[in-house]
This record gives sequence, structure tokens and C-alpha cells, in this order.
Amino acid sequence: MKLHELSLQETHEQLSSRKISSAELTRAYLERVQRIDPQVKSYVTVSEDLALEQARQADERIKSGDGLTTLTGIPYSAKDSLSTRGVNTTCSSKILENYKPFYDSTAITNLNLAGSVLLGKNNMDEFGMGSSTENSGFFTTRNPWNFDRVPGGSSGGSAAAVAAGLAPFALGEDTGGSVRMPASFCGVTGLKTTYGRVSRYGLIPLVSSFDTIGPMARSAYDVSLVLEAIAGHDPKDGTSRVESVQNYSESLKKAENLRGLRIGIPKEYFVEGLDKEVDASVRAAIKQIESLGAEVMEVSLPHTQYAIPVYYLILFAEASSNLAKYDGVRFGLSERTTGDLMDVYLKTRETGFGAETKRRIMLGTFALSAGYYDAYYLKAQKVRALIRQDFQKAFETCDALITPVAPTTAFRIGEKISNPLDMYLSDVFVVAINLAGIPALSVPCGFSNGLPIGMQVMGPHLSEETLLRIGHLYQSQTDWHTKHPPCW
Amino acid sequence: MSEKAQIRVDEKLVREIASLARLDLTDDETKMFVSQFKDILDYVSVLNEVDTDNVAPAYLSSSNKNMPREDRVEESVPTEEFLANAPQSKDDYVLIPRVHVEQ
Repeated sequence: MKLHELSLQETHEQLSSRKISSAELTRAYLERVQRIDPQVKSYVTVSEDLALEQARQADERIKSGDGLTTLTGIPYSAKDSLSTRGVNTTCSSKILENYKPFYDSTAITNLNLAGSVLLGKNNMDEFGMGSSTENSGFFTTRNPWNFDRVPGGSSGGSAAAVAAGLAPFALGEDTGGSVRMPASFCGVTGLKTTYGRVSRYGLIPLVSSFDTIGPMARSAYDVSLVLEAIAGHDPKDGTSRVESVQNYSESLKKAENLRGLRIGIPKEYFVEGLDKEVDASVRAAIKQIESLGAEVMEVSLPHTQYAIPVYYLILFAEASSNLAKYDGVRFGLSERTTGDLMDVYLKTRETGFGAETKRRIMLGTFALSAGYYDAYYLKAQKVRALIRQDFQKAFETCDALITPVAPTTAFRIGEKISNPLDMYLSDVFVVAINLAGIPALSVPCGFSNGLPIGMQVMGPHLSEETLLRIGHLYQSQTDWHTKHPPCW
Repeated sequence: MSEKAQIRVDEKLVREIASLARLDLTDDETKMFVSQFKDILDYVSVLNEVDTDNVAPAYLSSSNKNMPREDRVEESVPTEEFLANAPQSKDDYVLIPRVHVEQ
């Protein structure tokens, strides 16, 4: 068996018994990245020197046996919106092309403490704005299953890297589906965590009230191992949750069936526009989960149709505020050829931001401007409250809900890029989850024309253990998550 | 969205917003945004259907409150490391162009 084919647990066993070294493993991944990534284009930065140094330190730690964790010596990649000290962090934007943070985000710090090895940073839609990575300021990532298709977005690089065996796991970030949608399109398992479960400190913000960091890996079990390492309260993030972190992987090991679990199927998610094969695959997965002992019932989330307009209005507003700091003064691109400070602002922002980013800054500035605030931003926040209530009500009678992640499989590169509204609609099943701040897991559950299909399992705040248990038991009976693309 | 939903999207409005957003849009971009704004604002106007008269806005995505941390003195970033990202610097300060230039 080749090194990149091992699960995280198997890799850990090989490392801790010293059958392989972290240096050997890291070099094997770097070699694959060098060979395969020119086609997939999942990395914007490969941090080879840092990776080899971290691997060397991990090997010393393994040798001494002190403070070994399951992830010690295991390589990974991270979406380029997570700050990494001394390593370019660009958000795939020209405005941050040469930006090197002087601190690590807490999620990265936690993986450093665990002894993991950073291979590099993954491509994304600029600042997380997009559903295909076509909005990257640098290049478009390809879907490893079919190079003519998008990998989904905005964490498309991270999903593609995991799917193509260019990283055993990756950290993604989900503002409105950005972990789940690419996980579904690329056939990997991705978790959108409860808002506040993983610290946002050092995560370059898109929508501060939606943003969440989450693991992407090859199985629910692997996801559980990464979540244990990165989750937890952080004094540096005032919105992070104080509840203690569960031992997710231990609980998965003990799980035998889903008896006693009530699963709701929201009828508003199985409607016209849903691809027939996606529909059939998700329904088959629900049957499988029922056969594991769960009780399945239909539920209603009546405000579902309003999730997209609410999501985008709030996103426009918060994103335009968050992106005001890119002004060419303290860091990042700065166009200083002529004129005064105002000219620097105008030219830097005009040159540095891509079309979709400008469009959203414009719409947000409009939605927040005097005279329109009540009609757009405030109205959206009120409907958001109703969408949250829908979920609260559903969770009075069920423990989890299951839906498709996306209405279709991966679409063609170029298919939606000229019609922004059409692109926004591809997020129809994922954005409501961020409005409510609840967790959701994307699990591979089938294929259509050689392209992966994903189901979405969501639950109340801090129900990650339940979601991972459902995913893990489903994966113990199915092999969709073990299939690999041709470039593997 | 009351009477404000009858907003007229034209080049003048787009240029005004661009000025607020500090974006020096090209003429082509301005024209493109006029048509796209119309589509997108028309689409989000579906929210008018929802009765929100007695609904309080939900600004946070969960019920947890902000938790300020204790203010402790910690070592800060070395100045030169901070300034390494600055487009221009001089004597430990970030250098910026003149705020106002005489015409």
C-alpha cells in the first residue's frame, strides 16, 4: 500500500511504530504535489522548507515518545484564508498576493501543537466569494474527477487536494457552504462546524457572523480526529464556545447502530430543480441510515426559499465592511504612482479586487447606505430569525436532518461564471445552515456520470458527535468515500 | 422593502456607491453592475412577502454572547516584522502618501 492511501489512523500507527518517518511521508506528499498538482491546481503556495522542518521536529518527538498525538507527523494543507506565520496568506486575492502574516491562526497553532506538518495553502474563490474557485485571483482549480468540471467553492482547493491524494486532510472554511459544497463535488467528507466551535482567530474574515473553520478528509472518522485537535474555546475569539470538546473518535469507535435516533427529511429540500440521480442517491442513503436503526420522518422548514436572499444580503453587508481594511496603507497591494491618499485607496482597490468581490462590496455598500439599511439589511436579519426558528422547531422532534448538499453534481468550468445570480442559486441547500450557526456534515453517497454526490447531515448547535456518528456508521456499510479519481 | 424597493438603478447610483466603496470603476464595469444590480435587487425583493412586523433581528448565528477576554500584557510583534508587510516605511513608521495634495 502506498503512503498516500493510508487513513489518518493507519498513518499514525505506521509513524508511532516507526515503520515510516514523518520526513519520508512528507516527501512522498510533496513529490505527489509536484507531479500531480500542475493539473489539479489545488495549491497556491507549497511550504516545502517549513514542511520538511516540521517533519524533522515530528520525527524527534516520535523518537522521544513525548507528547505524541494522533496527528503528530501527519501532513495537511489549509485554505489560504487561514493565517500562517511567515507563509503567504493570500485569500487567493491579488490584493494580498505578497502578504505574510506575523502570527498563526489558532486552528493552525493547534495543529502545530499536535505536531502536524503544513504542506501548503489551498486555492479558493477570492476571500471565499464563490462556489467554484473560478473567482480565485490566480487560477481555477480543477475537479480531480473530471478536469473540465469545477471542484466547488469556496474551499475548492482544499477539497481537490484531499480528493486527489495531495494531502491526507485539509482545513477548509465554511461561510455559506464553502466546506460542504466542494466536499460533495470532489467526493470527500467535510464538516461545517457549529459557529464558535473552532476559533476564528487569525481566519481572514468574510462574514464574521457566518464564518466557521472545518476539517475535510477521506472519512468521517478522519474528520473526527482533526476536529478534536482544532476545536475548543479560545480567549482570542470572543464568539468561541466555552463548552468542552468531546472525544469524537473514541465515541465513533464505540458506535454500533443508530437506534433511537430520529432523522428528519425536510420536504422543502426535495423539490423541482433537484437532479434525479442526486435525489435517488440521497434517498438511498437515507434508507441505509434507516436500516442502521434510525427512525425517519418528514419535517418542514417553511422559510427555506428565503435563505438565499437573506444569506446574500447579509453577506454583501458584512463582507463590504470586512474588506474596507484593504486600502493599500499598512499591508498588501498598494498602487502609489500618483496623487494623494484617496488615489491610493481608489486605485489599489480597483486593481487588487476581482469582479465578484467588487460586485459584493458594491451591493453591500448599497444595502448598508443611508435610506436602504432598513429595507435590505434589517429585513434580512429579521427573516434570518425566522429561518433559525424553523430549525429550532425541527430539532424539537428530530436529532438530525438529511438533505442533498447541492442540487446537481459538479458543473462545467465556465458554465455559471457570467451569470452571478445563477452561481448564487447553486448554494440553495447549504446557506440556511450558516444563518442558523448549526453544524452540518457532507458525506459522499453516490456518483452520477463519474461525478460524486454528497448528502448533508445537519444537527442542532454542538451536535458534531451525532453527525459524525451517522457519517461513520454509514461509511462502515458503504464504499463511496473510498473511491478515488483517475489522477489519484 | 416598502417604497424603497422601487429604487432606480442607473449609472449615477452605481457611481455614487463606487465612490462610497472607494472603487475606481471603469465605464464597462459600471454598465455591467447596473444590469446585474437590477437582477439581484429584484431577486432579493422576494423577502417582501415575509411578514416580519413582530420579529426581532438575529444578528448572531447562535445564542452565545460575546465573551471579552481579560486584558493581559503580552509580548507584541517585533516592529520590523510588522513593518515587513507595509508598502513603504520609514524610521519604524508606516509611510503613506500625502492626505491632501494642493491642486
